[in-house]
Amino acid sequence: MDVEPPSNPPLTSCIDRIVLPGDTVLDLSTMANQTIKLGEGLRQDCDTISVMKAGKLRLSKPNKYWVESSHKRYVPCVEDTILGIVVDSKPDNFLVDIKGPTLALLPVLAFEGGTRRNIPKFEVGTLLYVRVVKANNSMNPELSCTDASGKAAEFGPLKDGYMFETSTGLARM
Amino acid sequence: MGGEEGVVTPGEVVGDSSQLIAGRGVYLAPNGRALRASLTGLRKILPPPPGSSDQRSTVEVVGHKAHGAVPQPGSVVIARVTKVMTRMASADIMCVDTKAISEKFTGIIRQQDVRATEIDKVDMYLSFRPGDTVRALVLSLGDARAYYLSTAKNELGVVSAQSIAGATMVPISWTEMQCPLTGQVEQRKVAKAD
Repeated sequence: MDVEPPSNPPLTSCIDRIVLPGDTVLDLSTMANQTIKLGEGLRQDCDTISVMKAGKLRLSKPNKYWVESSHKRYVPCVEDTILGIVVDSKPDNFLVDIKGPTLALLPVLAFEGGTRRNIPKFEVGTLLYVRVVKANNSMNPELSCTDASGKAAEFGPLKDGYMFETSTGLARM
Repeated sequence: MGGEEGVVTPGEVVGDSSQLIAGRGVYLAPNGRALRASLTGLRKILPPPPGSSDQRSTVEVVGHKAHGAVPQPGSVVIARVTKVMTRMASADIMCVDTKAISEKFTGIIRQQDVRATEIDKVDMYLSFRPGDTVRALVLSLGDARAYYLSTAKNELGVVSAQSIAGATMVPISWTEMQCPLTGQVEQRKVAKAD
């Protein structure tokens, strides 16, 4: 019995539909010179764009595509603001658990007005609100307790309150 | 100076200091007169270097087994990057000069040794990735764990790397390599090809 390979639907028909890992959403060889920006969950395989994460395919005009998904596993991304728990402190960094693939490093000077003389002392288990500065897949992510301009902006240790774990979709809302 | 075919063992007298100079594998005994071997191997006599005032020949002991190459300060090595961290990258040394090595040596490329200019603004992730093959110069024996390597020259740096798509990338400039399958450009500290 001959099985025909599924034809690739054009990209526009998959918008706002559920896509699964392995689906090919676009064949670049059929398109003219266009620039497409791929966001999370999409990947270029030679001439095709295929899906890596299950979710809904979204478009932000004019040309940004990404897959919106909600998983239990967090993968650190630059400019995410997240909660972390201090696990250890080294001379140069704090080791912070952000529930990702690896521990993250928070430089000891990454606070507003941080100098070598007023290094904060965090006990193991302190809850921090931090911003991800660098997130590569082969290195430990780097965090910061300041915003891009260097101000504290409510980052830092949190007092009182309650922390619980959710899926990434609920956390992003 | 006996033994079959000139094989000497450590401690054996190989010559007299009044007639010979100590070379590799030979040292001057504490009494100042005898030259003794420090290795096991074959005893060889080398002619005196021309133009020197000392007319004595040099005696040296050469290892009788072919030992694997050992990285020395100043030798160019080929290494594969294993880990990239904020201030340094770890690499496994695979070849020394042109010989492959039999035991595992580790090298470290520090942030200040990646390139010659603007050394405090180096981003290690934009210079190396795990799995890259680099050509580096051995700076020193380093500490007990690793040699110190440097790529701070035009002909040193990433020789071969794989892109995210899995293809071997083609160098474009000294900071960029391009994947032939997807056309994506990735940043590395690229070695100048000769």
